[in-house]
Amino acid sequence: MLRKPVTRRTFSAMLGSFGATVGSVGQLSAQGADVVKIGAALPLTGPLSPEGIKQQRGYSLWADAVNAKGGIKAGGKTYKVEIIFVDYASNTPRAVQSTERLITQDNVSFILAPFGSGATKAASSVNEKYEIPMIAPSASATEIFDQKYKYIFSTLTPNNSVTEPLAEAISQNKSIKRLAILARNDLFPLAIAQEMEKSAKARGMEVVMFERYAIGVLDHSAAITQMRAANPDWVYGTGYINDLVAMRKQMADLGVKPKAISMIAGPAYKEFAQAAGPLAENVSSSAWWHPTVRYNGKDVFGSTEAFNAAWTAKYKDDADYIEASSAVCGAIIQLGIEAANSVDPKKVRDAIAKLDVETFYGKVRFGDSGQINSLEPPVFQLQGGKPVVISPKVIKQGEMKF
Amino acid sequence: MIYLQLLANGIVLGGLYAAIAAGFSLVWGVLNVINILHGSFIVLGSYIAFFLYAYAGLHPFLAIVPAGIVLFALGWALQTVFINRVVTAPVLITLTLTFGLDLVLNNAMLVAFTADYRKVNLATPLPALELGSVFIPGDKLAAMVLAVALTYGLYRLLGDSNVGRAIVAVRMDREAASLMGVEVKQINAITFGIGALMAGAAGALLSIIYPISPINSTLFLGKAFVVCVLGGLGSVPGALVGGLALGLLESLGGYALGPEHSVTLSFSLLLLLLFVRPSGLLGRRGYE
Repeated sequence: MLRKPVTRRTFSAMLGSFGATVGSVGQLSAQGADVVKIGAALPLTGPLSPEGIKQQRGYSLWADAVNAKGGIKAGGKTYKVEIIFVDYASNTPRAVQSTERLITQDNVSFILAPFGSGATKAASSVNEKYEIPMIAPSASATEIFDQKYKYIFSTLTPNNSVTEPLAEAISQNKSIKRLAILARNDLFPLAIAQEMEKSAKARGMEVVMFERYAIGVLDHSAAITQMRAANPDWVYGTGYINDLVAMRKQMADLGVKPKAISMIAGPAYKEFAQAAGPLAENVSSSAWWHPTVRYNGKDVFGSTEAFNAAWTAKYKDDADYIEASSAVCGAIIQLGIEAANSVDPKKVRDAIAKLDVETFYGKVRFGDSGQINSLEPPVFQLQGGKPVVISPKVIKQGEMKF
Repeated sequence: MIYLQLLANGIVLGGLYAAIAAGFSLVWGVLNVINILHGSFIVLGSYIAFFLYAYAGLHPFLAIVPAGIVLFALGWALQTVFINRVVTAPVLITLTLTFGLDLVLNNAMLVAFTADYRKVNLATPLPALELGSVFIPGDKLAAMVLAVALTYGLYRLLGDSNVGRAIVAVRMDREAASLMGVEVKQINAITFGIGALMAGAAGALLSIIYPISPINSTLFLGKAFVVCVLGGLGSVPGALVGGLALGLLESLGGYALGPEHSVTLSFSLLLLLLFVRPSGLLGRRGYE
């Protein structure tokens, strides 16, 4: 049998089939559609997986909405969105490595941040080095923005914008004078606890206990025994869902019955009310967003109502603030690309820094540090197992119960 | 008096820790297998109790029985099919095997039950016991009493029954036991089954106290490790003493040094004990 020589024609056919096996990107550009690649390293497994999955849901909803409308238009081209997800298994050092991998190997142009202030701060040095913008949906600690980085943006306002309205709402009950704080020894939970200490003291309250507990502690009875001895009128507990459910249950077990209980960040998630059951009643909290807010926006969703409808259609439940905040991070990249009329990361970064635009999430405008400064975070209380908005006045649904 | 309250907290916590660790200690002591699956077994026991309460209204204290039976069967099958093949291999091999099996079981639970936190909220919780200024939650106290009773039951089983004596014989000398007519592989499977049963029963008790999620398995495993080393491997009274020691230490130490140091404190003690008394408080030399 004669060996067939490789002609120019068969060679190009081979190249073609090779291109088809390499991936979807080549196929899309062959059809004339360009792709903007966005990287997202998330804790999809491990202790922070509930939160990581929330962010993934938010990012994906935005990407689906954009692609359903044809893509993002810039510089005479239309770009489809492709998000590359990497699981860092709730292990912060791996979040940093994954971010670097996304930039150097997957060649993403933008980064959607990992979960929480700690991992976001750790990853922010990497995208800063490569001059790739990173938009963070769940990072609010000042320690991130003190670094004076240019490529980090956050959709959560500073912590005091959340503690101030809650302290104000609680202080309406004049018999509340003694505050006990039990904080998870972690970047955000500790920072917000310290902020609440300031907000309470500014209102003439006495902080009768301020204790921190280690990450991974299941039993809080020593701290709660101390809390009972301190006899507080108000308890402020910080941590994540698992911590706060255990803390609330053990407060009841040891007979700690203050006039008011506030917790963050758990009551904003439906899982908290489900797991804590009747003990969730009257627990107050604050969040950066709530499904009952109503804004009209220039983003891909168009309004809060349209966002809620799209969310429910895809996931069959209501979005919480982390989920909405994650979706708006994508929308911010899109608004930045449209304003810059380019997908060049540096040009988009400058456009995002100058944004002053309404979205379904609220007004989006960033301070010099990259942190959003245009939101008025709501205060809410769980009543009958459901969150009821207490403030701000425009979206108020009920009164704080004590 | 705050110290009496802390003491009470510590004893209640210690009883629960004993139940968490008893099965782990037995398996480690008898089979020389560090069973990384133990934490996931506890979580599976909690889920069984949770679903039986949610759908059949069975009180978690009664769910000890079905959770124990299911986990015994699972443990027995895992030992027979997988672990018996390598049980005489160096400890690193069996550790790797149980680590791998744990990844499978834990991720299967994540798929089946998701990582969402669940909790048994009893419709009629027991009232708290108030002794002067000391406040003891009723359900937690009952769970602790049952946990200690289970641990005692295991102790009697090992001392008084033929199976128990065979288990002890295998622990002391595998070859000699085999020469005396003990079916070592069968005893291995029963031992591993009992270890899993204890984990499942402990899980059912814990379901009313802690949130339930597959990701809590490593927390339970960590406690089991410390309790075993404190009390001495393979010794049931050791698990009880180790559990109480850890419970009291976390309670009193957490108060004296602040709750953020309670975990550091227990692991520092672990290191110290490994230096000065590696066989544990009640362990005997040659068992470890």
